[in-house]
Amino acid sequence: MTPPDSAQFPVVAAHALSQRVNTADGSLVILSEVELAVKAGETLAITGASGSGKSTLLGLLAGLDQPSSGELFLLGQNLNALDEDARARLRAGRIGFVFQSFQLLPALTALENILLPLELAGRSDAHARATHWLTRVGLAARAGHTPRQLSGGEQQRIALARAFATDPEIVFADEPTGNLDADTGARIIELLFELNASAHTTLILVTHDEALAARCQRRIHLVAGRVA
Amino acid sequence: MNFVRLGLWLLRRERASGEWRVLLLALIIGVGSVATTGFLGDRLKRAMSEQGASFLGADLLVSSPRPITRWPQHTLTTSSAIEFTSMVAKGDAFQLATLRAVDAAYPLRGSVRIAARPFEPGTARPAQPPPGAIYVDASLLPLLNAQVGDRVQIGETHFTIAGVVAEEPGQLGGVFGLAPRVFLRADAVAQTRVLQPGSRVSYLYQFAGDAQPLAAFSAALKPTLDSTQRLIGSREGVETLRGAFVNADRYIQLTALISLLLSVAAIAIAAHRHALRHYDQAALLRCMGATTAQLRTLYAVQLLTLGLLGSLLGVAIGAAMQHVLALMLLPDAAARLPALGAAPVGAAMVSGLLALAGASLPALMRLIRVSPLRVLRRELPPLPLAAWISMTVSGSALLMLIAWYAGDARLVGVFVGALTGLVGVLILLARLALLGGRLVQRMSHGPLRFGLAQLLRHRFDSTVQLGAFTLALFLVALLALVRSDLIASWRAQLPPDAPNYFLVNIAPQQQAAVASFLTQHRLQASALYPMVRGRLVSKNGSPIAATLPPESRNNPSLRRELNLTWTATLPANNTVLAGHWHGERRAAAEISVESGMAEQLNLVVGDTLGFQVGDQTLTARISSIRSVKWDSMQPNFFVIFAPGQLDALPASSIASVHVPAGKASVLPRFVKAFPGITVLALDKLIANIEAVFAQIIGAIQLLLGFLLAAGMAVVIATLLASLDARQQEAVLLRTLGAQRAYLAKSLWSEFIALGLLAGLLASACAEIAMALIAHRLFELPVRLHPWLWLALPTAGALLVGTSGWLTTRHITRVPPMQSIRALN
Repeated sequence: MTPPDSAQFPVVAAHALSQRVNTADGSLVILSEVELAVKAGETLAITGASGSGKSTLLGLLAGLDQPSSGELFLLGQNLNALDEDARARLRAGRIGFVFQSFQLLPALTALENILLPLELAGRSDAHARATHWLTRVGLAARAGHTPRQLSGGEQQRIALARAFATDPEIVFADEPTGNLDADTGARIIELLFELNASAHTTLILVTHDEALAARCQRRIHLVAGRVA
Repeated sequence: MNFVRLGLWLLRRERASGEWRVLLLALIIGVGSVATTGFLGDRLKRAMSEQGASFLGADLLVSSPRPITRWPQHTLTTSSAIEFTSMVAKGDAFQLATLRAVDAAYPLRGSVRIAARPFEPGTARPAQPPPGAIYVDASLLPLLNAQVGDRVQIGETHFTIAGVVAEEPGQLGGVFGLAPRVFLRADAVAQTRVLQPGSRVSYLYQFAGDAQPLAAFSAALKPTLDSTQRLIGSREGVETLRGAFVNADRYIQLTALISLLLSVAAIAIAAHRHALRHYDQAALLRCMGATTAQLRTLYAVQLLTLGLLGSLLGVAIGAAMQHVLALMLLPDAAARLPALGAAPVGAAMVSGLLALAGASLPALMRLIRVSPLRVLRRELPPLPLAAWISMTVSGSALLMLIAWYAGDARLVGVFVGALTGLVGVLILLARLALLGGRLVQRMSHGPLRFGLAQLLRHRFDSTVQLGAFTLALFLVALLALVRSDLIASWRAQLPPDAPNYFLVNIAPQQQAAVASFLTQHRLQASALYPMVRGRLVSKNGSPIAATLPPESRNNPSLRRELNLTWTATLPANNTVLAGHWHGERRAAAEISVESGMAEQLNLVVGDTLGFQVGDQTLTARISSIRSVKWDSMQPNFFVIFAPGQLDALPASSIASVHVPAGKASVLPRFVKAFPGITVLALDKLIANIEAVFAQIIGAIQLLLGFLLAAGMAVVIATLLASLDARQQEAVLLRTLGAQRAYLAKSLWSEFIALGLLAGLLASACAEIAMALIAHRLFELPVRLHPWLWLALPTAGALLVGTSGWLTTRHITRVPPMQSIRALN
C-alpha cells in the first residue's frame, strides 16, 4: 500500500492490524484484523474490558511497538518500514503522551518535567514555552516542586502540560484518570479537552471512564482484540 | 538537542541519588588506592633515574671483594674507597656500622652534605673527614648516646665525630638501610687494625670522564673482571636498582589493585540499581523521540563525568596518602624525593575509567535497550543482553586493568587465579556462615529474629556483603598477625640458651685470649671456626657457569666470595644427606656442600669443585652433602673443607656465644679488650629487621585501609539496591503495628550480625592462613590468637552496623502513607 498524502488522508491509519505474542501455551492473539483511521483534529476513545487489547492498540498506533501483521501509517509514514530509531525521530516534537501513572521524572521539578520534551525537540524557546504551559495548567506557583511534593491531580496536570508543550499533532493518552479520584478525574478531563481544543491536536485515548469516552467524537470498542 | 548537555543536566538534578554517591565513593576509594602506590613508585623511580651519575657518585663504579691493582690505560678521573662493617663504641655503648673509608676525591659525581646537627640540611663538602675525625649517619648518635664532637672508638683508634651525613649519593635510608653509615679517611683504616685476613671488604673504584673515554675503558676492563667483581655504569647501576625496585613496586601495585577490584563490585551493584531505576526514564525519553544513539550519548556522558570526577578525587586522595606512605617507608629521604609526576595521574585516571567501564557498561547497555512500550507496560524488561556480551565487555576491561598492573602474562594468570579462588572460597564460607545464622535465628525472638531473617531473606546480597567484608578484614588481620607474630614465634621456639651474639673477625693470635675471656666470665661459646674467603670457579675442571643453564648462572653463590671453613667435626645442626662426612681425613682434599647450594648448582657427591682463594687455586672433591639448620644461631657454612688444605692460609675466626641478660655488661669490656673483633648483637639485628618489617607491613596496612573502605562501599551499594524492597517491608510492618523502635532494632540486629559473621569468618581464615605460613614456610609451631576472635567481630559489627544503619535508617522514620505514595 502506498503512503497516503497526509493532507487528505488520516493522521493515523491501521489496516488489518494484528498482534500476537508467544507464550508457553502457544501463540496468544492480542489484536486481530483491526481497521482504523483517525483524521486530524479528531478525538477518539478506545474502550473495552481489561485484557481486550486497548493499551496494545494504543502502543502500536503511537509507534511504540511493531505489529505482528498488518499495516500502520502515522503522520503519513508507513511505520512497518521504520526501525525503532526512525519511529523515535518521527515522534520527536510531533506526538505527546499522557499516562495513567503520570510518568514524571522524580528528580526534575514541575517546570523541568515540562521542559524535557521541548529540550529534546531542540526548541529555542523551550523555557518560555514551559513556563507558559505551567501557568496554563494553573501550577505556576509549584514550578520548583518535585513530583513527590505534588498530589496526583497536580502531577497529571503537569503531565498534560508536558504533552501539549511541543504543539504536537497527536496526543495519545492511556487511562489519564485511572489513578485519580472521581472529582480530580473530572477536572483533568475538562483540562484535557480544553487544551486539546485550543491546540487543535488529534486526541486518541484509552479509557474505562464512560464520562471520558463520551466526551470524544468517536469511540471504538474492543472485544477480545477485535473492534466490536 | 545537545544530548551531552541534557545528560549533564539530568546528572546534576540527580546528584543526590544514592547510587551515584556510592558509585562515586567506590571509584574514589579504588582510584585512591592505586594512585597512592602509583605516585610513590613513580617518585622513587624518577629519584633513581634523575640522579643518574650522582646516584652512584661516579660515571663508572667497579666493586670487588679484593684489591684491583692493574687497570687498562685511561685518562679518567679516579677515586677509591673501601667499605666494611665494624663496631663503633662509645663508653659502654657499641653499634655495628657500615664504614666507608674514602679518599679526598670522593665522590666524583653528586655531593655529600655534612651537617653540624641531625636533621639540618648541611653543606656540600668532600666526604673525607679531617684527620682524626669521622662523619656519621644521624641514626648512629642515639644508638651510642653520642653527639657531634664526642669521641668514639673504631678498632684500636679513637675518632671525633665531626659531623652528621645529611645527604650522600644513592642513599635512600629508611627500609633500604640497616647498619648506619660512617665516613672515615682511607689512610686511617690501617691504624684501626679492624681488617683481618678473611674480613669481608668491598673495594670501590670510581671513574669519571667524557663518554668516549669511559666507553673505551669500560670495554677494555670488562673481560678482565671475574664473576664476583662488578662494573656498574651510572645508567646500569640505576637500572639494576630500578629493576629490583620495579619488581617490588609491581607487587605493591597489585595489592592496591585488589582495592580497585573490590570497588568494581560496589560500582557494578550501584550501576545495576541505577539502570533499574532509570528504565522508566529511558522509555519516556524514547517516547519523546530519543534514538538509541542519543540515549547512549546521554548515559555515557553521565558515566564519563562521574568517572572523571571520581578518578580526579581519587587521585587527589592518592597524592595525600602517598605522602604518608613515603614518610612511613623512607622517613629520611621522603622530603628529597622528586615532586609528584603527571604519569601516575594518567595511569590512575585510566585505571578508574577502565574499572568503571568494566563494572557499569553491561548495566548501561541494558538501559539503552529499553523499549518505549515500557511506558504502557511497566513490567516489560529491557531486551536481554546476551551473557557473553556482558562478560566480554566487563571481562575485557578488567583484564586490561590487571594486565597493565601485572606486567606479564604469567603474573596475570597467577593473580586472576588466586583472586578467583579466594572469591570462590569466600562465597562458599559466606553461604555456610549464613546457614549457621539460620540456627541462631530460630533460637531468637523479636527484632533480633526479624533482623536475622532479613539476612537470610536477602541471601544474595548478604553473601556479597559477607564475602567483601570478610576479604578486607582477613587481609588486614593476616598482615597484623605476620607483623606481630612471625618473628616473635620464631624467637619463642629458640632454646633459652641459644647464642645471641656472633664474634667475627677473631685474629689467630687472639683466639686463646678470647677463649680465656669467655671462660673467665663463664660464657658458653660455640666452637671457633676459621674462615677464609674464596670464589667458586669450576666444576669438574670446567668453568662453573658453563655447566649451568642460563637461568641459574646468576646464583648468589657464584656472584660473591664464599666463607670457607674447615673442621673435622660435623657441626651440631648439620645432617649428612648423601655421601660420608670427611672427618679427620687428610689424604685428599674433600669438602662437604650444603644441600640447597648443591641443588641450585647441580652438584652431587663425587664432583670436584675449584676455588680461587687469594692468588691460589684449590680443588676438592665433594664427599658429602648435608642439610643445615640455618636458624640455629650457630655459625653455618655452605662449604666445609676437611682439615689439611686451607690450614696454612691466613684466616680469621668466627664463633657464636650466649650472653645472658644479666651478664650484658661483659660485652663493653670485651669490645674494649678486643676492639678489632666485630660483635654482632643478633637481638639488635633481629630487632632492626623487625622494625623494617613493621615499617613495610605498616605501609601495606595503610593500603589495606582502602580495601576496608571498598568493602564498606560494597555493603552500602548492596543495601541501596535492596532499599525499595526494605521500604515496602517496613511500610507493611508499620501498617501492621510495628513501632519505629522495633524496626530500628531489627535493622541493627541484621547489620551487627553481618559484621560479627564477617569478623568470625575473617578470624578463622586468618588463623588458618597464619598456621599454614608458620608451619609450612617457616616450620614454626602453630598457635591460636584469642584476641583476634574478639577484635575482628567487634570491628566488623561496628563498621557494618554503622554503615548499614546510616544507609537504611530513614525507612524507619517515613510515615507509612508517605512511603506507600513514594513506592507507587
